[in-house]
Amino acid sequence: MTQPSQAGQKNRTYCYLAIGVAVLLSLFPLLSPAPYFLSMLYMVFLYVVLAESWNIIGGFAGYLSFGHVAFFGLGAYTTAFLMNKLALSPVATILSSIPGGLVAASVALVIGYPCLRLRGPYFAVVTMCFAFVVHMVVQNIDLFGGVEGLWLAAMKKPIHVIRAIFYELMLTLMILVVLFVRWMEGSKLGKGLVTIREDEEVAQTLGIHTPRVKILAFVLSAFFPGVAGGLHAYYLTYISPENVFDVMVSILIVLMTLFGGGGSWLGALIGAVSLSFINEFLTTFVAAEIARIIYGLLFIVVIIFMPNGIMEFFRRRRRQKEERVLENG
Amino acid sequence: MFEILLLQSLVSGILMGGIYALLGVGFSLTWGVLRVINIAHAGFGVLAAYIAYSLLAKTGLDPLLSLLITLPCFFFGGMILHRGLIRPITKARETIVASMVLTFGLAIVVENLMLWIWKADPRVLKPSYSGTAVFIGEVGLPIPQLVGFGLAAAGILLLYLFLNHTHTGKAVQATWQEKEGAALMGINLQKVSEIAFGMAIAAAGLGGVAMAMMYTFDPPVHNFWLIYMFLVVIVGGVGSILGTALAGLILGVITGLCMAFIPYQWINVLTFGLLIVVLLVRPQGLFKTGV
Repeated sequence: MTQPSQAGQKNRTYCYLAIGVAVLLSLFPLLSPAPYFLSMLYMVFLYVVLAESWNIIGGFAGYLSFGHVAFFGLGAYTTAFLMNKLALSPVATILSSIPGGLVAASVALVIGYPCLRLRGPYFAVVTMCFAFVVHMVVQNIDLFGGVEGLWLAAMKKPIHVIRAIFYELMLTLMILVVLFVRWMEGSKLGKGLVTIREDEEVAQTLGIHTPRVKILAFVLSAFFPGVAGGLHAYYLTYISPENVFDVMVSILIVLMTLFGGGGSWLGALIGAVSLSFINEFLTTFVAAEIARIIYGLLFIVVIIFMPNGIMEFFRRRRRQKEERVLENG
Repeated sequence: MFEILLLQSLVSGILMGGIYALLGVGFSLTWGVLRVINIAHAGFGVLAAYIAYSLLAKTGLDPLLSLLITLPCFFFGGMILHRGLIRPITKARETIVASMVLTFGLAIVVENLMLWIWKADPRVLKPSYSGTAVFIGEVGLPIPQLVGFGLAAAGILLLYLFLNHTHTGKAVQATWQEKEGAALMGINLQKVSEIAFGMAIAAAGLGGVAMAMMYTFDPPVHNFWLIYMFLVVIVGGVGSILGTALAGLILGVITGLCMAFIPYQWINVLTFGLLIVVLLVRPQGLFKTGV
């Protein structure tokens, strides 16, 4: 057992470590690495943002949203639409990802109000349907480019500068989201959400205003993907319903969070980082179908063998080992 | 002319609805008895359609005959799946949600295995009698669709008879109503669950082949079938065979009529929207059993 003071010291060490990693990551583009590495890490950051945001509603509150890519896509379309209609400058386009997040958040507010009354499988189904509906509606409206999608004027800078700019932007967003979720985990909101996950009736009798807490969590978990979607649209310079409403993204972020362990900021972070590296590896070296088969199998393995995520899995293993050592010694 | 169009859409709607019903019945069975929502259910239907397609293309075996081989395989495959995958999670507190995530993974595996083996091109099951039709007045009834509907009706009838007139079927129903009570009466829950899951997978296979008689199919199509199944089961009531069958027919008629009047690309928006509305307006109201 560690004493409280020692635990505090340990926490501080981790804190410095995290700051060090963040600083090193932010300085990485100065080494002028190949644009490939910048875009690879950019994708990792993007997935961390998405998984952490999903974690707010799916991990903490236990409301499995299977349609979270809709918020990402809405953000992407908002930015692309604003840029095209208002002929925004590059800086304004980057800033327009914030309205992207606001659009996603307000849609979440509107649909969350009725949907969050449903529990368990019904919520999962309704969010899945919602994502399909948004996808198909956007695809069938000519104003948003229909099936062909929208183009965004690229920045007039060398490719590695552009990559570095997006790298830093997504890194900043990721740090903000991770810090936010970490703060939330200890806050009244986070505790309330966990209570709702464990037992919603008990949460109500404890005086938690469950509808308000849930809708707040849902709106927050939609806002960040919206912002990320806005940035990503500008990064891609071309968006279509097929690529920003891709069901695979919804699936991956659920898998990442559950893999790492939902309901903890560190779990979603670990899950997103490890799986997005695996994702990168798989998309480079094997056919897309095989990669997806592996994701599918991962889902099965996660649910059967580590229902509380990989972190909890190893923690439990270590505890069992310690107990065995105690018994034998 | 307008009446004929209307009548024709009505008839195709009913034929289609029968198959939604068959797909929904198996789905409803696992949901009701086992507390398992099998997201991969429609995936197995598409798999059966592909197997029938391959057997027809390679050996010329009629889909109706090849079903005699595939259905037992699906039944036992379902039992094995239950033992290997579903059983380990039944200890989880929230079986339904855990099963959803698990079978979600299974659906991804099945879909991509099919993409890998058969590629993404849409296929169509063309038995010797395809392209023929009988006419009642001016309304045409294509033979393959009639065969598909016949398969669906037979499948639902068999399931209904099994559940109501056999010892095992009654054990399944007893488990459905009161799990612990059934166990106390000496019902082997494990065996009953396995049989129910096997039946559901076999029904999915039958439904898939019936569906393939009417429409082109490709691996991702199971997502749309899944939405129809959810609609049918939720409207008809989880666990009610006859309710599910009726809901299937109603949904078939609605989509059939809509297809006559609404541009094709909006049909799915309509179906998904309908499911959202049903879920939101009557989340529990339409169920026979509670949530």
